[in-house]
Amino acid sequence: MNGPRPSLVFGALLFLVSLGMSHALAQGQDGDQPGYVPSADEEELDPRWQKTVVFYRSSEAPGTVIVHTNERYLYVVQPGGRALRYGIGVGREGFQWQGLLKITRKQEWPDWTPPPEMIERQPYLPRFMAGGPGNPMGARALYLGTTVYRIHGTNQPQTIGTAVSSGCFRLTNPDVSDLYERIPVGTKVIVRQRPEV
Amino acid sequence: MKRFFKRTFTSGLLIGGAVAVAVAAAAITYERYDTKTLKRTLRRDAVHCGVSTGLPGFSAQDEKGNWSGFDVDFCRAIAAAIFNDPKKVKFVPLDAKERFIELSKRKIDVLARNSSWTMSRETEYYLHFAGVSYYDGQGFMTPRARNRTSALELDGSKVCVQSGTTTELNLADYFRANNMKFEAAIFPALEPMLKAYESGRCDVLTADVSQLYALRLKIGKAAEHDILPDVISKEPLSPVVRQKDDDWHLLVKWTLFAMINAEELGIDSKNIDAAMKSKKPEVMRFVGTEGDYGEWLGLSKDWAARIIRHVGNYGEVYERNVGTNSPLGIPRGLNQIWSAGGILYAPPIR
Repeated sequence: MNGPRPSLVFGALLFLVSLGMSHALAQGQDGDQPGYVPSADEEELDPRWQKTVVFYRSSEAPGTVIVHTNERYLYVVQPGGRALRYGIGVGREGFQWQGLLKITRKQEWPDWTPPPEMIERQPYLPRFMAGGPGNPMGARALYLGTTVYRIHGTNQPQTIGTAVSSGCFRLTNPDVSDLYERIPVGTKVIVRQRPEV
Repeated sequence: MKRFFKRTFTSGLLIGGAVAVAVAAAAITYERYDTKTLKRTLRRDAVHCGVSTGLPGFSAQDEKGNWSGFDVDFCRAIAAAIFNDPKKVKFVPLDAKERFIELSKRKIDVLARNSSWTMSRETEYYLHFAGVSYYDGQGFMTPRARNRTSALELDGSKVCVQSGTTTELNLADYFRANNMKFEAAIFPALEPMLKAYESGRCDVLTADVSQLYALRLKIGKAAEHDILPDVISKEPLSPVVRQKDDDWHLLVKWTLFAMINAEELGIDSKNIDAAMKSKKPEVMRFVGTEGDYGEWLGLSKDWAARIIRHVGNYGEVYERNVGTNSPLGIPRGLNQIWSAGGILYAPPIR
């Protein structure tokens, strides 16, 4: 016999592929990929989600952050009827509440502790992950009081502009780092949901 | 004998005169007092809609002859409200010169052709502009490398502009009013102007904002060019109808208002069925489960629900044709609901 039987090789390959697929499927369902570090290309957003200055009328003071979950945009009000607009991904928690909050804490390269419901859905997740590249919380986090609400980065920039199952309001790491420098602790954050019918 | 002739002659004259007056009155009435547009539309089984001859995003035909665009969808909304069928539209492409005349002469019943609402158009052609469906206006495009975020930062620019339009005048006014200097590069046609901007012979291009996005699409490198958020002139685009037919005017006007109100109420084509079951008074009035609003327009109770179901709300129509779901990718800007950053404001359905 020279070399392993073709059928054995085929069987082994099949086994490996199905392992990989089930792993990917398990991740795909809820989407978190701790440890994944996106390339610079992947960090570049489709123009519709890129940071840009837009016409924006508001009676809120410049510097106020207004999140429009339905649009998947976060606006930072500026003087002169303008706003700086960022594309965001909105997690399940992000759709649940509307009103006024304040930034209470800011953190660079935040640690990540997945809550119990998330562990239940994705049992392979680590119970704790230190901050850094590959962390689903991304490069920065802005915490909004004692609520579950937070604005943070992501290691999956392709989720910007979408509704995702977990997390709150996420921006790409370059965008969230940019936002981080602009808005101090104490900044008003207004969350607007689409009206219910 | 003479007296007999005299009497018959006089009575004949009188009868003839009466007939002449009646015919003249009928002729004038027909010309100036057409109040039967809805009836005629029902009889013809289609909305006769004037559109542009080919403006991507607003109204254009594909190779198979299918019409699409922001203005096209508005015509479909009217058809949906009347017939519960958005396909019952006859599209009549018209160029800029003939559009208002054809509307006056009843070749079409509504003009949805990105036409700016002005006083002279309303008064000279005896028309009504039914309501602003798109707030356009003059803006500026500049290479991203220049790092400008405001039109007030354009001092000393070389600006490409098309001649023979109000654009030239607006440009001069704006720069003078804001104490900025500029050098104009004037072009009679679009193509050479765009080439000059692309090659760097001018560092700003000015035109209506919707046109700037179309031009940027032509250049093909959206990421390298910024279109500034400033709008320095007013071009309020609106569908147009004839004067004297109030019923038709109201129908067209409230079709637009329904689309805007729907977005404000959170009603879209995906949740319209759920909205039919809502207990919220505003939503109930909108979908027709309360009140007789549709009947007052000569339509059914679910007139507004039909529009949303078949065509969508304002935001859906905007995004699919000129917004983020389209190649143009124009941000909502002014054309966002008044409570969400823009100036779109429709009177309530109540």
